[in-house]
Amino acid sequence: MPHSNLGLGLGLRNCHFNHILSAWPAVDWFEAISENFMDSGGWPRHVIRQVAEHYPLALHGVSLSIGSTEPLNFDYLKKLKNLATEVQAAWISDHLCWTGVQGINSHDLLPLPLTEQSLKHVAGRVAQVQDFLGRELVLENPSTYITFTQSTLSEPDFLRELCKQTGCQLLLDVNNVYVSAFNSGTDAIDYIEQFPCEYVIQMHLAGHQHCGTHIIDTHDRTVRTAVWELFRLAWLRTGGVASLLEWDGNIPPFEQCHAEILKAKDYMLGEFDPANVAISSETEKETISNPVGFLVPGVMDRTQAEGA
Amino acid sequence: MSEDTISLDAIQVWLQNALISPGSTSCQEIEKHLRPSAQLKAAQRLGIYQRSYYLRLLQCMREQFPALCHALGDQLFTDFAREYLQAYPSESYTLYELGRRFPQYLEQTRPDKDGLQQARESWVDFMIDLARFERQLFVLFDAPGHEGKLLADRTVPDHVLQLQPCFALADYRFPVASYYQQVRKGNNPAFPPEGHSMVAMARKNYLTRILLLTPTQHAFLTLLQQGHEIAYALELMALQLTLTVEYVYESWTAPDGIRKRWIDAGVFIHKGICGPESIV
Ligand SMILES: [Fe+2]
Repeated sequence: MPHSNLGLGLGLRNCHFNHILSAWPAVDWFEAISENFMDSGGWPRHVIRQVAEHYPLALHGVSLSIGSTEPLNFDYLKKLKNLATEVQAAWISDHLCWTGVQGINSHDLLPLPLTEQSLKHVAGRVAQVQDFLGRELVLENPSTYITFTQSTLSEPDFLRELCKQTGCQLLLDVNNVYVSAFNSGTDAIDYIEQFPCEYVIQMHLAGHQHCGTHIIDTHDRTVRTAVWELFRLAWLRTGGVASLLEWDGNIPPFEQCHAEILKAKDYMLGEFDPANVAISSETEKETISNPVGFLVPGVMDRTQAEGA
Repeated sequence: MSEDTISLDAIQVWLQNALISPGSTSCQEIEKHLRPSAQLKAAQRLGIYQRSYYLRLLQCMREQFPALCHALGDQLFTDFAREYLQAYPSESYTLYELGRRFPQYLEQTRPDKDGLQQARESWVDFMIDLARFERQLFVLFDAPGHEGKLLADRTVPDHVLQLQPCFALADYRFPVASYYQQVRKGNNPAFPPEGHSMVAMARKNYLTRILLLTPTQHAFLTLLQQGHEIAYALELMALQLTLTVEYVYESWTAPDGIRKRWIDAGVFIHKGICGPESIV
């Protein structure tokens, strides 16, 4: 099923709730972290309902754990399906990763060894999830810091085969491409050229932190120029799809986030020059990787004491 | 098992154990499973995941227990929370559940747990109660509530007043609610003296109101929570306080009495009536 290009969107974050609900800013669309809303009977649920009435909305998950060897959690899937129906989600995405085994959730997006065995395993689960949800799943390339000795397939090849076998679609995170390529010593441009762009319906952009020996996917700052340049290439190769900025740490006011994603317009045209995707030499002290969309529900702001 | 035949399941169990208990693996094992990069050894690459695993969850714990974190100071809070996460790793797809067992964990592992009851250190009781209080607020923040439906107004008669769904009663050995409010205001409150405190919490228009209660009020609301009607609860209170029912009823319905105050705070709904609009 073809998906429309929703335009330039922003990740829906707690600290922007009040602004969005009062100013109704002219942003094209939002992406919400499914787990932050699917169990909510309170303020977050109220907010997402309102947002869904005013804007196109996609759901982005971090705990589907499609690559885990643990059985799928159908209680989770049921809640996800209900939420998607309630907010009329344009699509449901998650990551090519696993989050835990043996009943534990690491709340990290852990990479898989890219082997035929993993491919068969993931393809079977994607089919099950799609059957249950009654729609295609959209999977994102994660940011990674390790490479398994076992891996025999490249990530683009793995994802292409997965799409062919299951009909699932892809979310290309351009920043993750840059981060993972640096960390594994591979070429980011080559990755995009190899990527099955015909299956891509969405892209992600975010800021990262360069620690010299490795890059951390922090989502805590503006998008690096090199990542924007890669976006230019990805835009060309995908033919242009819905694009979204993820900002999860040190989140600035809404309008600043909005201005950042609007920069994408400058990279939708013009020639791609590989020389612009240079590795920067700056280094910083490592902070936390932030793929999860941090949970800061502001409970303190929503309490009030009254006298006895 | 050789590298070629190691199952996906085995590698996932190995990696997860290496995150939760970094000491559970060796350099040799790491190098068997992971490749080095041009700049980092395999173990250093794994180290990025190992560090961020705890840092991320600890940050989440601080957000779920801000007042406790303030009371203990960041270092001590981090020590307790890290031990907790080691003992009780997350078992849920949602981070909302991360702190669920923390108050219970603090109670189980209190340093003076083997000592006599009288010899127990009161600061530990304070920490446990503050953790219980913050967890309760966290639950009420996101629990199914009565927003969008009618809350009872002052004209609703007693026999159809019912506690609303997003409501909790609690009692503590310390004035944790006022401590919490001080932290919320950005103050730096001192460790409070021991003092029994009872509170009701009710959410109205997505705002959780904290109502400080007297022991009688707490007992009264407990009876309502058990499903008793208001008239019965008032009678029982009168009996226990050796007061007349008329006197108790008058103080309940006084112009500035608790009936009015609790209705205004959104404690009650009108039994059987759920209109489409809420009364603000
Ligand atoms: Fe992403």
